[in-house]
Order: sequence, then structure tokens, then C-alpha cells
Amino acid sequence: MTALATPQAQTGAEQRFAPARMRRTVLEMAYAGSTVHIACAFSIIELVTVLYRNHLRYPGNDPRAEGRDYLVLSKGHGVMAQYACMHELGWLDDSHIQGYFKDGSELKGLSDSRVAGLEVTSGSLGHGFSVGVGIAMGLKRKGTDQKVYAIVGDGELNEGPIWEGALVAAHHRMDNLMLIVDKNGFQAMGTTDDVLALGDLSAKFASFGFETLEVDGHDEAAVDTAIRQLWTTGTGKPKALIARTVKGKGVPFMESDNRWHYTRLNPQTFAEAIDALGLPGASK
Amino acid sequence: MREAFSNALVRLALADPKVLLLTGDHGYALFDEFRKRCPDQYINAGIAEQNMVGMAAGLARVGFRPFVYGLAAFVPIRTVEQIKLDIAHDDLPVVLLGDGAGFVYSHLGTSHQSTEDIACTRAIPGLEVLSPADRFEMTACMDYAYEANGPVYLRMGKSDRGDVHAGPLAVQVGNLLAVRKGKPGGLAFIATGSMVNTAKQLAEMVFLEASVWSVPAIKPIDSVTVARVCATSTVVVTMEEHNTVGGLGSLIAEIAADHAPVRILRIGVPDRFSAFCGTYDYLLREHGLDAAAVQSKVLALVNALPAR
Repeated sequence: MTALATPQAQTGAEQRFAPARMRRTVLEMAYAGSTVHIACAFSIIELVTVLYRNHLRYPGNDPRAEGRDYLVLSKGHGVMAQYACMHELGWLDDSHIQGYFKDGSELKGLSDSRVAGLEVTSGSLGHGFSVGVGIAMGLKRKGTDQKVYAIVGDGELNEGPIWEGALVAAHHRMDNLMLIVDKNGFQAMGTTDDVLALGDLSAKFASFGFETLEVDGHDEAAVDTAIRQLWTTGTGKPKALIARTVKGKGVPFMESDNRWHYTRLNPQTFAEAIDALGLPGASK
Repeated sequence: MREAFSNALVRLALADPKVLLLTGDHGYALFDEFRKRCPDQYINAGIAEQNMVGMAAGLARVGFRPFVYGLAAFVPIRTVEQIKLDIAHDDLPVVLLGDGAGFVYSHLGTSHQSTEDIACTRAIPGLEVLSPADRFEMTACMDYAYEANGPVYLRMGKSDRGDVHAGPLAVQVGNLLAVRKGKPGGLAFIATGSMVNTAKQLAEMVFLEASVWSVPAIKPIDSVTVARVCATSTVVVTMEEHNTVGGLGSLIAEIAADHAPVRILRIGVPDRFSAFCGTYDYLLREHGLDAAAVQSKVLALVNALPAR
């Protein structure tokens, strides 16, 4: 694995999670598997980086540890971002990356909870959040301090069960639950404004009884600060972090070009995308 | 039967604090005892069935034993995808309780009637499907569902049809249950839920040599006994308050086709919605599920068979 230039302030954990390197992992998987949803993974790279690096607790580095925090990827089509984190953690090895989508392989194109490290089977949208609400309710009943994070796409907010779950989370005072909206402004067939306008998401979730913040979803320090702030304010309220993101972030020719929801890489676009990440050592 | 259900639920919840009852704002009087005895284990999830079923999956993920109650029209039918994806795919111990299955809500029309739930649920891998006929089967099914420790759908149909068994079950509920012994080589009724009682009446009054079997466990079914009944009968009559497409009749026909082909008469809802409303007995007549209609269908078939 290529080492990154390391400023003196970085810790070991920070060396482990590097957004550019994780984007390269996503590109390698997508190229190996000739698959789609690259841009959908890129918009949440910094969000999962901050979560895995600074917040999610996995006792014994065990993805199934009973006392763990839960990251529910409700927008299951962003799963390659989570695979990249699991690769950084050593839960997946290079053969998983290079063997993505080979016949008989375990890692699917959408989140599947049979894979250790993935908590829900999602991809059919509007499912993961409800499961996360149930996990949060269960953890509260058990009296533990474990936390639940649910990453939901802004397009996914079209789904009714999200709003059912939001009512229930607030009613049952689930202040151990954080909904993170990947607000990249696009869904499969167009912009969220064109397809089904969402209006003011912060106002919507605040009106549902959530403690709510908006943040630049690609500014790691700002995301980290917002998450800490949400956990320390609004006692008894579930949290909503509205993360403004860019679909395809990190590779300029993919950014906010919705074709990269469904476009596959070819040798040329793969090489160009890798180069665009600016990693030392360049493309393989 | 409803008292047996309530008693079993309270007993299981008192014995295991991980048992939770989730309801989609239904079960007005049914849960009085549960709410009194186990108030902390009662969760009214609101009129939000999809989220409720997903939430049950989350609760099961962290060690709880949710029993999720709704009308069968909503749990399972409205929430089939949540049951498939959130619960069954990961083999989570969630018991789904679908009340009022069939034509219980006879005056309310199609929205509250459920005659497709067996077909939908039995096609979901790993989901067990139960359909008790009387209070004894209900008690046994509730225990079975808890002990299964996996995904279960328990179909609760018309509950006031009377007992079909003389007392608590002597054999496991996963078996085909003999309600009435008949003469081998003749007619066999295989029925589930509310229709077991009708089959029993017909055997006692009209088809005196017929055997009657009850099927509380539709999935997994006791296919060994089904195959034996098919192999030793001239005609098998299946009876269910459910569509003839995909329900018990289909299931018995599948087993017969694999192991012991026999002439099968499938009595059920003839793949149609209720046209009108009325009493429960009226709707049975509308769909040809009343005893007289079944009797004439069976007689017509038996009389048309070549003489042995």
C-alpha cells in the first residue's frame, strides 16, 4: 500500500483513513468489477472517514463486537465507500478489492448485512433507517452508551418509511441515533430539485424534533466538530446532520455529473480518475 | 382462541424480558392483559407498519425478541418487502402476527381482507408460516414461534369457530395433525385455520369415512405425512380461507406431484376479491367456502370418478 506524505500532526489512525487513497480503492473495485455507483460512494468518503477514524467504536477491532457502535448505510448503493474503510481497517484484503464481482464472491453491489462490518441489507431504499431506529431503541432499552449512525441519501428521503422512522425516533427520544443525510443534490434520474424537491431539510428535521446541523460534508474537521456538537446538545433528541456533498467528489470529471451514477469505467477513464486523485505513485 | 393468544403472549413476555410486543396501533382490547402485566414490553409503533417491521429487525439485531402485531392486510401484506429484506434475509427472530386473516372483516371490504398472505409469505426463504385452527393450536403455535428463534409469520384467522381438538396437542405443532381418522383408500380433507372446523363437520355429517387433517404449520410442512395421506387416498380435498393460488392447496399439490400424485380438489377463494359485504357467513357463501358449497363440490368430484 502506498504511504501518504504524513504531516507531523497526523496520528496512526489518520494515516489509516485517507480519503484520496479510499477513493482509489473505490475506483479499483469499480474497475475490477465493471460496476456503477462510483459517484454515490465518492460523496460520502469524508463522512465515513471521520466516522471510522474518530467516532465508531469496535472493541477489539471486531466488526461484530457486541459493544460496537452501529453504522447503518441506508443508501446501500454507496457501499464501496464502506468497503474502502473496511479495507483500511484490515477487515477486507486486496483480494476483495481486485476480486470484486467475481462469480461466487461475497461482496455485493449493495450493502448486505451478511458481510461482517455491514449492519443492514439495503439498496432498496428506506429500509436501513428504520432498522437503525430499531437498533437505537434496543440499545436505549439496554442502557448502553452505544451510538447508531444512519447514512441516508437525499434521494432516499423520497421514501415514506424514513419519515415514519423520524417520527418514532423523536417520540421515543432516541438521542443515541444520528441521521446523516448525504445531500449531494442528485438522485438516479436527475437533481433532487427536479425529481422531487426536498425543501429545507434542516427545517424539516428540526420540525420533527431532531437536533439538526448543516455542514460541508467534505470538510473532515467541520464534520467531526458537527458530530461532536450534536452529541452534546439537544438532550433527548435524535440528531440530524445535513451534509452538503458533491456527487462524484474527488475526480473532477465525475463531480456533479450524474452520468457517474450509472457509468462504468474503461481503461482510459480509470487511468484518468486515478491520476486525478493526485496520489504519489500514480496509477497502477 | 384470542384468549389463548393473549395468555401465551403474556406468559412468554413474563418469562423472557427480551420479548417485546409491537403494534401498529391495533389490538384495542386484545392487549389489555399484556399492557397491564408487561407495560414496559408494549410498544405502540404508530400507524406506520413499514417502519415498525424494519424497527423490529433492528431490535432483534441487538438481542430482543419482537412480536409484531397488525392486521394481516398490513402485516405481512403491506410490509412484505421489509419482512423479506430486513428480517428473513438475516434469519432474525421476529414473530409476525397477522390478525383478521381471510374474511374476518367481512363488512369492511378488500382493504381489510387478506386472502393472499400465505402465498406471499411462504415464498420468502426461511420464513416459517403458521396457521392455527383453534385455541389449542394457537397456544402450541405461539410456543413454537418463540422457540423457533427465527422469522415466523403466524396467521390469525376467524377465531370463534370452536375447538377442533379435544384438548392440548399431544404431538408437535409442526406435524400434520389428525383431527379425525378415516377409512384408508377414501377421501381425505387437509385444511388449515378456520376451514378445519368445516372439514370436520362435513366428515361427521356427510363423508363419514373421510379423514380430516389440520395443518397448523404450513412452512415447513410435514411433507412426509402429506405424501402418505396422498398415497393412501383416492381424493384429497384441501380447504383454506385463502386464495387457491399459492396457498395450502397449491402446497399440497406440489408435494403430491413430487411424491404421490392423487386427485386433489382445492377449496379456497377462487382468485377474486369480495364483490359485496355482509356477515362472515355471507362472505363464505359468496366465495363458495360454506359447508353446503364444499359438500356439493366434493360430491360432484367423487361421483365423477370412475368406479373402483
